[in-house]
Amino acid sequence: MLRFLLRRLGRGVLTIFVSVTLVFFIVRAMPSDPVALMISPQMTEEAQQALIQAYGLDKPISVQYILYMKELLHGNLGTSFAKRIPVTEYLAQKLPWTLLLLAAVMVIVILIGIPTGLLAAAHKGRLADRVISVIVTMGISVFIPFMAFLLLFIFSFRLGVSPTGGAYTPPKAQGMAYYLDVARHLVLPAVTLSITNLANAVLYTRNSMIDVLREDYIRTAYSKGNSRGRVLRVHALKNALIPTVTVIGMQIGFMVGGATVTETIFSWPGVGRLVYDSVNALDYPSLQGAFLLMAVAIVVMSFLTDIVVAWLDPRIKLGE
Amino acid sequence: MKKRKGFLYYFVRNKNGMIGFAGVLLIVVIGMAGTLVIPKPEGYTNDILMAPSALHWLGTDNLGLDIFAELVWGAQTSLYVSILAMLIAGVIGIPLGLVCGYANGWVRECIDGMIDIFMTLPMLPLMIIVAAIMGTSITNVALILGVFSWPQLARVTKNSTLKIREMQYIEAATCLGIPPGRILYRHVLINASGPVLVNMTLVMASAVLTEASLSFLGLGDPTTWSWGTILKQAWSQNAVISSPNPWWWWLIPSLCIVVYVVCFNLFGTALNDCLNPKGRE
Repeated sequence: MLRFLLRRLGRGVLTIFVSVTLVFFIVRAMPSDPVALMISPQMTEEAQQALIQAYGLDKPISVQYILYMKELLHGNLGTSFAKRIPVTEYLAQKLPWTLLLLAAVMVIVILIGIPTGLLAAAHKGRLADRVISVIVTMGISVFIPFMAFLLLFIFSFRLGVSPTGGAYTPPKAQGMAYYLDVARHLVLPAVTLSITNLANAVLYTRNSMIDVLREDYIRTAYSKGNSRGRVLRVHALKNALIPTVTVIGMQIGFMVGGATVTETIFSWPGVGRLVYDSVNALDYPSLQGAFLLMAVAIVVMSFLTDIVVAWLDPRIKLGE
Repeated sequence: MKKRKGFLYYFVRNKNGMIGFAGVLLIVVIGMAGTLVIPKPEGYTNDILMAPSALHWLGTDNLGLDIFAELVWGAQTSLYVSILAMLIAGVIGIPLGLVCGYANGWVRECIDGMIDIFMTLPMLPLMIIVAAIMGTSITNVALILGVFSWPQLARVTKNSTLKIREMQYIEAATCLGIPPGRILYRHVLINASGPVLVNMTLVMASAVLTEASLSFLGLGDPTTWSWGTILKQAWSQNAVISSPNPWWWWLIPSLCIVVYVVCFNLFGTALNDCLNPKGRE
């Protein structure tokens, strides 16, 4: 077990290192000249030089890379070009919003997705299953902007009950009113973002449950005189949840950065919106910081997922 | 003795599969033939934001261009992008997945690590950046999509291979002295073909979604029509929440994307059911 954890940890660190390196060079290959973007012509010669020095922009890329890695190990992600604040601070401002969005999505997926999948599996081939299948197929295929447009059209334009964007109505309210306001703004982006994940959760739960129900050990469980409910709950569910857990786990990690489109449409002030803004502003340090954050999120989530899956399925032997 | 029935027998009897197949066929015909008949919408006219009528079947946009014509040209773009992306992902992903699932030792570790690392990169944000660097052309978008879609395919192939290599018939084949390459192709790939094919159709479907997302974020090809480009224009003119609402402008292109993806998914699922003897019941 310890050996598995260490190996997995080592791979995680390697993954993060490679991602950071890849992204560093990809970002440096961007078409515009960062010096020209950073420094306005009105600045004094001295101020310009100071900025070039500070960002290491006059040095070769390899030197910039070593400088960057050194600072990274000290927990310094650099200073955002666009915002003129430390990237860690910039990210720290945005991350809670993304986490909030993510938590809302996960609640929707777990509370609705898994039970719906089980329902479909239990009624395989009958009406309930067919209706669910059609909806799921639509859900997987849904184009995020389309979902967002529909929700905006219905709830913001026609009914006027939802705000069209942002995370709260300025000026910031106090106390309970503020939380309610945020919750009101959260609904549409969270629903938009859940659709695909929800459909995946239903689909994987349904399919693996159907597969599991064909297994010999299920027949054995029945022949030992167990009731249908007990077989489903005790013998089948644990095994059937393995693919679902894998998929949901990976998705949580990805959603830290994968919400770019949703966050852009709803002007949600999270990390995805930060990526979009940073690309437009050619804000390299912020981009790199955001990618590092996403890579870490995904590595952590896939690590946790592996452990949960190994716990669910003793046939998978850790450390082999 | 009952005669063994082939793949086609089951496929033509799979209703969802036939609907999906018909849809795919329709899109191919529209994308191929439609662009020969209908001229590419360019410039501007005076028929601004007209609702659907006999003259403009699906209405016009804010430049007075016919939305139906834009959609036909967009279908071509979608087809081109998804086929190219699927081929690239398949050529890279399937062999790597097979080898990774079957090999032992450092070969497996290496490929596994590569898949892990590529799966770890936040794809859409990375594609946004690469699209910004490489410049906006349809072929670039397809290349980016293909290069970033292979790990998914490799992982599915690997997982199926891992399961299949534990089967007794593989052990038997190994005992008979059949070389690994032949085992992989004749015994493993054939048995893994269900999940792999499904995943290839999924790659095609998600390529269209991602291409539309990139175009929607302004990183598509400005010289050609794509469903995402139409939506981007509609969005930038606040079409969704403006009154009177030009619903045809944002609703119909979105529906096209959804229908495209649904058809490919139905087609893929049916393929899986018909190739997998368990699913034929």
